Amino acid sequence: MTSSVLICDDSNMARKQVVRSLPSHWPVEVQTAKNGIEALEVLRKQAVDVLFLDLTMPELDGLGVLQKIKEEGITCSVFVISADVQPAMQAKVLELGATAFLRKPVEAEVLMDELQVHGFL
Amino acid sequence: MTAFNLNEDQQDCLQELINVAMGQASDQLARYLDTFVHLRVPSIEQVSTTSLSNSLNQEQQSVAVVSQGFLGYEGIRGEALLVYQHKDSDCIGNILGYEPDELSVEEQLIDLSSILTTTFLNVFALQIDNQMSYNAPRLLSSGQDALAVYLQQLSFNCDMALKVKITYQVTDYSFNCDMILLIPESAITNIKAVIDRILADY
Repeated sequence: MTSSVLICDDSNMARKQVVRSLPSHWPVEVQTAKNGIEALEVLRKQAVDVLFLDLTMPELDGLGVLQKIKEEGITCSVFVISADVQPAMQAKVLELGATAFLRKPVEAEVLMDELQVHGFL
Repeated sequence: MTAFNLNEDQQDCLQELINVAMGQASDQLARYLDTFVHLRVPSIEQVSTTSLSNSLNQEQQSVAVVSQGFLGYEGIRGEALLVYQHKDSDCIGNILGYEPDELSVEEQLIDLSSILTTTFLNVFALQIDNQMSYNAPRLLSSGQDALAVYLQQLSFNCDMALKVKITYQVTDYSFNCDMILLIPESAITNIKAVIDRILADY
């Protein structure tokens, strides 16, 4: 079954990096969002299985998105991919309901392992 | 206007390299201070070095600045300035948990600056397959004239530079410091070439 994936990052390069790190054997339909507001628009309109979410973004940042997802009861697994790797930040995003924390730049093998651990592959 | 005519992709790539380096630097700072460091999106702009010394001086009547030059392969070089407000530099001993007189404020500022600068630049360099070497950090004597004179005498001595400003906010202690990277015009061309190489892979 094809999974619906949303990649949210203000950087075009970072979005591309996630796209090309996705396992080639994972059937997915990929959409992208440039900031938290755009991501929420997509999430409210349609079912998304996995959201890959950056934290440091203009408009609405990743923590804000996690909060909204929680508040609005949106069902979606969130893999945070961030350069802000402070342990306190990792703990915070997991507390806000994220499925996993991955450090930027994301590596294909790490991404595959995490997807496997959480039952997406 | 984009700084030094970096196109949109080049600017985006540079920003992303900076984000990753800034994230690792703040992680080191957080561990050193045993606290959390709040990060914002960094700013990248083109400045004249004269306007820079004015803007530094306008922010507060006096600031403490630690400056450290860096040099990598392929003509990549610049100057990293760590800018502290005086009210913050006065309380730095408390934040670092030093006893009074254990280490001078100057030494503490230099320690803190080295952590931020070397972590940031090492991670930045790693991402572009480069390696940096550093000059000894210097604490610039505060006062408008001293700072202006120093900035004008910087090793690369240029009129225009790319200015990257990153603010590290330690909210637990209401302590902020700004890292300002100045990359001279001549080095920008070299950085552009490196960025284009990275972008070609995407």
